[in-house]
Amino acid sequence: MKCQSKHYGAGRGDILLGLFGVFLLYLLYTSGFFTAAAWQDFNRRFYQNFVKDARYMMLVDGLKSTIFMTAGATIIGVIVGLILSVIRVAYKGGVPIPVLNKFAETYITVLRGTPAMVQLLIWNFTIFASARDLNTQYIAILAFGLNSGAYVAEIFRGGIESIDAGQMEAARSLGLTYGSSMKHVILPQALRNVVPMLFNEFIALLKETSIAGYIGIDDLTRAGQNIQALTLEHSQPLVMVAIIYLVIVLLLTRFVRKLEEWLSRGRR
Amino acid sequence: MKKFIVCLCVLAALAGSCFADEAKLKSTDQLKTERLAAQRGTVGQFIAEDLLGDKKGELLTTFEKYVDAIAALRQGKVRAVVMDEMPAKRFVNEVEGLVIMNDALSEENYAIGFKKGNTELVGQVNAILAELKADGTLAGIFAKYIDGDYSAVKPEDIDFNKGAKGGKFYVGTEAGFAPYELKVGNGYIGIDVEMCAAIARRLGKELVIINMNFDALPTAVSTGKVDMICAGITVTDERKENMDFSDNYVVGAKQVAVVRADDYEVSK
Repeated sequence: MKCQSKHYGAGRGDILLGLFGVFLLYLLYTSGFFTAAAWQDFNRRFYQNFVKDARYMMLVDGLKSTIFMTAGATIIGVIVGLILSVIRVAYKGGVPIPVLNKFAETYITVLRGTPAMVQLLIWNFTIFASARDLNTQYIAILAFGLNSGAYVAEIFRGGIESIDAGQMEAARSLGLTYGSSMKHVILPQALRNVVPMLFNEFIALLKETSIAGYIGIDDLTRAGQNIQALTLEHSQPLVMVAIIYLVIVLLLTRFVRKLEEWLSRGRR
Repeated sequence: MKKFIVCLCVLAALAGSCFADEAKLKSTDQLKTERLAAQRGTVGQFIAEDLLGDKKGELLTTFEKYVDAIAALRQGKVRAVVMDEMPAKRFVNEVEGLVIMNDALSEENYAIGFKKGNTELVGQVNAILAELKADGTLAGIFAKYIDGDYSAVKPEDIDFNKGAKGGKFYVGTEAGFAPYELKVGNGYIGIDVEMCAAIARRLGKELVIINMNFDALPTAVSTGKVDMICAGITVTDERKENMDFSDNYVVGAKQVAVVRADDYEVSK
């Protein structure tokens, strides 16, 4: 952020944001939002959508489900991605594993080349067609996790390849095997480079899980739709859902920035 | 910056031009050349397609949820929404400025859907349905919901036969179709839900409701994800080719067009 303001001059983004805000206010004004009646109506609808019968709990439960799926998928994604990237880098570095390498390549191509939504439907309705007692959330975690793994693999590969080749040469010439050079010298350094990107992947996943409603999971997005079906009101539940996603993403983004600063301390 | 402002002006002009005067609707015959909306996969969509003929690609918009279709209607993006009469009544009662056109489009029968060839379960359910009709259980369930006010119905009052020895009985539905099925808090209410609970009790099984999108229901039942699907499903010849149906439990449910009140002139 600091670096950005140096480049672009102070507050250009703020002016744009302000203009956008004015535009929104204008839209609200023209739609008669600032009259007493409209305000009362807004309050009444707000009560119906979120307060009555503790309906906000539907959103809370949905959020729990969203976070559960995102966390689970991230864990699977990191493990799968790490394995895939090590296979590909090792093959390139001369380790004779052509079959594994081909598998990793195909995996990444297929999972990155098809939409997550289609993959989710295939996992639920084709591969796990007969798994009825299995909690659907686990199927979603698997689908999102394996999908994310393909992206994480490329993140890791970039991280590993960004480490100077001299590091590997030095480690090998000290008598370390390829495996332990990778484990003790290359990966720790690569990890430091990719951690911020991994968190970005986590943020992307959080938003991606919003399609879980298609296989019957009441995630945050679906919870908003369930409230819509109850109250027949369109805008408020959706806007509320959007605000909740945004707040979480902003918190996570801030955390990633702090993490980046912390990781790059003493490196300049 | 100037470009941004110009963009806003163009957007505003476009928005303004949408409100051109049009002659009001008088009968459903006029809908043949109008922009229509329906929920995806429902019989409302098929009726709208029949109405529009060759122009369906241009004039018909299908939505995943009824609430979305109604929002499009209120915003003037479509001129009418084709849907079942009972949910339509609820929309008209609760959402300001909507009416149902007097002349109904068609009358349909509802039945429960099964995997093609699952004659054993169809037979069992048909026998139970006959019992429910004979002893007045079904009429009692309908009476509970028919007046449109079912805020007193609580999900926890419906006996899902929890922990039954016969195992679990999975039923797929789309819980945004009141009064037939509706998600309330963590549970479900509605005519279909109570009927399925009664069926499950007589089968000696525990009812498990799987809530998914309407267009995913046929897939779910044919892949065996659920034992049967019950979501106010209209019996059509085309659907009969791909799944088996129970006996009808609703006869003569009207398909109607919901329009904006200020866009409708009742003909004498």
